[in-house]
Amino acid sequence: MVSQKIIIKNPTGLHLRPAGILCKEAMQFKSIITFQFKNTTANAKSVLSVLGACVKCGDEIEFICEGSDEETALCTIIQAVENGLGE
Amino acid sequence: MVKGTGASAGIGIGKVVVLEEAKLVIKREIVADIEAEALRFKEALVVFAANTKALAEDMEKRIGSKEAEILMSQSFMMQDPELTGAIENAIREECLNTEAAVDHVCNMYADIFASMDDELMQQRATDMRDIKTRIQKILLGIQDLDVAALPQGTVIIAEDLTPSITAGIHAENVMGIVTELGGKTSHTAILARALEIPAVVAAVDILKSVKNGDTVIVDGSEGLVLINPETDVQDGYISRRDTYLKEKKELEKYIGMPSVTKDGVRVELAGNIGKPEDVDKVLQYDGEGVGLFRTEFLFMDRTEMPTEEEQFEAYKKVAITMNGKPVIIRTLDIGGDKEIPYMGLTKDENPFLGYRAIRFCLDRKDIYNVQLRALLRASAFGNIKIMVPLVTCIEELREVKAMIKELMAELDAKKVSYNKDIPVGIMVETAAASLMADVFAKEADFFSIGTNDLTQYTMSVDRGNGRVAYLYSTFNPAVLRSIKHVITCGREAGIMVGMCGEAASDPMMIPLLLAFGLNEFSMSASAILSSRKMITEYSTKELQAIADKAMSFDTAGEVEAYMKEFIE
Repeated sequence: MVSQKIIIKNPTGLHLRPAGILCKEAMQFKSIITFQFKNTTANAKSVLSVLGACVKCGDEIEFICEGSDEETALCTIIQAVENGLGE
Repeated sequence: MVKGTGASAGIGIGKVVVLEEAKLVIKREIVADIEAEALRFKEALVVFAANTKALAEDMEKRIGSKEAEILMSQSFMMQDPELTGAIENAIREECLNTEAAVDHVCNMYADIFASMDDELMQQRATDMRDIKTRIQKILLGIQDLDVAALPQGTVIIAEDLTPSITAGIHAENVMGIVTELGGKTSHTAILARALEIPAVVAAVDILKSVKNGDTVIVDGSEGLVLINPETDVQDGYISRRDTYLKEKKELEKYIGMPSVTKDGVRVELAGNIGKPEDVDKVLQYDGEGVGLFRTEFLFMDRTEMPTEEEQFEAYKKVAITMNGKPVIIRTLDIGGDKEIPYMGLTKDENPFLGYRAIRFCLDRKDIYNVQLRALLRASAFGNIKIMVPLVTCIEELREVKAMIKELMAELDAKKVSYNKDIPVGIMVETAAASLMADVFAKEADFFSIGTNDLTQYTMSVDRGNGRVAYLYSTFNPAVLRSIKHVITCGREAGIMVGMCGEAASDPMMIPLLLAFGLNEFSMSASAILSSRKMITEYSTKELQAIADKAMSFDTAGEVEAYMKEFIE
């Protein structure tokens, strides 16, 4: 299991569009990909789960990847978030 | 009369058609053949995806890709593994019929979204309910209401419009839209604006107040709905609507026309923007450039500095969208009137005279270098010009240019491309810069007069202070002399002189600015076409006498009265 914390910089937080892009990125991997925010755990492969976490701009979340491709998965996800998830 | 929120400007008059979603009766049953039920659900999903795709494609053709995206995102939500998984679970484990399983799971998600304290998230509740209803209709074999077949002259009244219903609306038949729910950013509002249909949202109790066949007036500019108005009221609105449409149409004629005066003087009409996406509006109103891109948005409402990449992407996006047209980007104009903890900015005793804009940036070169480097890199993608705000003495401009030179050497070493001749100009907004304009004109590549601050600093008046605000007038002879001096100095040195304050689109100011010889007028996008109309009706030669007369007065009041009379 690998994990990394990151701050969300999208101006309106993880709303529909960035959440969709995050999911598409997560779907490519076999690993279970989740993130922790406040006291909830969200499934990064589910738009609804990501939206449901209600992550705003400036919030810090921690991605957790577990599975055969966990290293690449975490790296790709962090990169995608840093690049602003299409925004 | 019902009051709501104006969501799409204009006036629409027509006969009411109340769109009521037929209440679906969802029976909760226990199914015997679970596999067959799971298959029914899978098949409904396939139909749903196909329908949505067809709707989205039609919408993209008729309205635009942005609107179609709303529908495609619904399709994406319906394929969500958590959602489909939960529905399948309900079918398999509770032996529920698909209709009831969908009802249960989608309602749960809709309730979660509806309870969130965030308008964008609350929109997802609408999406969720829309998805639910559509899947259930597919399962029950119910045909959707055909909005495309509404007769001409219809005003649609509904509790809320779902994206799938709005997608079918044809602008030529629908005169107005009123919904009981929704906000300025709801699907209904976005779509109504794209289709240019007047719309009022959040109209409380509208459904109780109207019935099919009533005549209503929808005033989307004021957010009013008038029900069965008296004939004289109706006539008044009809003439207001006609004037609105006529003016709009007349202004549309100016799209694609050059901004040239009767005697052949060409000026540039540009737009002011605060975010990269504002460029769309500038292009929609045929702006010939961006005269002011405020970069503060990148730095506000956050807890750490935007990265160079983030800034680069924002500047690049604007440069590419403007496709070679000039884009003047103002470097960070931030200071002690707002506290920004991560930048170490605290409240200044006297913020407008204090540690702000270029003063801050030259003190914090670590921050400024990042912005300048992002701007240089973005300059490879379009016609970017760098504008330095709040300059008071020439050393400041020299220091910025030296920093840029150093960064250029750094980029050369790394073989990163940029525009080697990127223009670096100043925003003229202090009395000192104005008085020294002849000196600045030798070293700045362009001027842009910021009239809001220039007026404030020249008159020593805080316009936010109601007790002294009467002194704040750009028509004060002191301010006018300052503006004229800056334009003259710039023109003599052969550099471009623009204006990016509110005065640039003031009908009373435009004749004076043309007479002074201003090259570029930058304003809010919606004022561009009316300004172009005005400019094409004047001759700068004829305006000289007007300007001379205006400059001969002693008081702001006299100048204003004279210019008011002139434009009438």
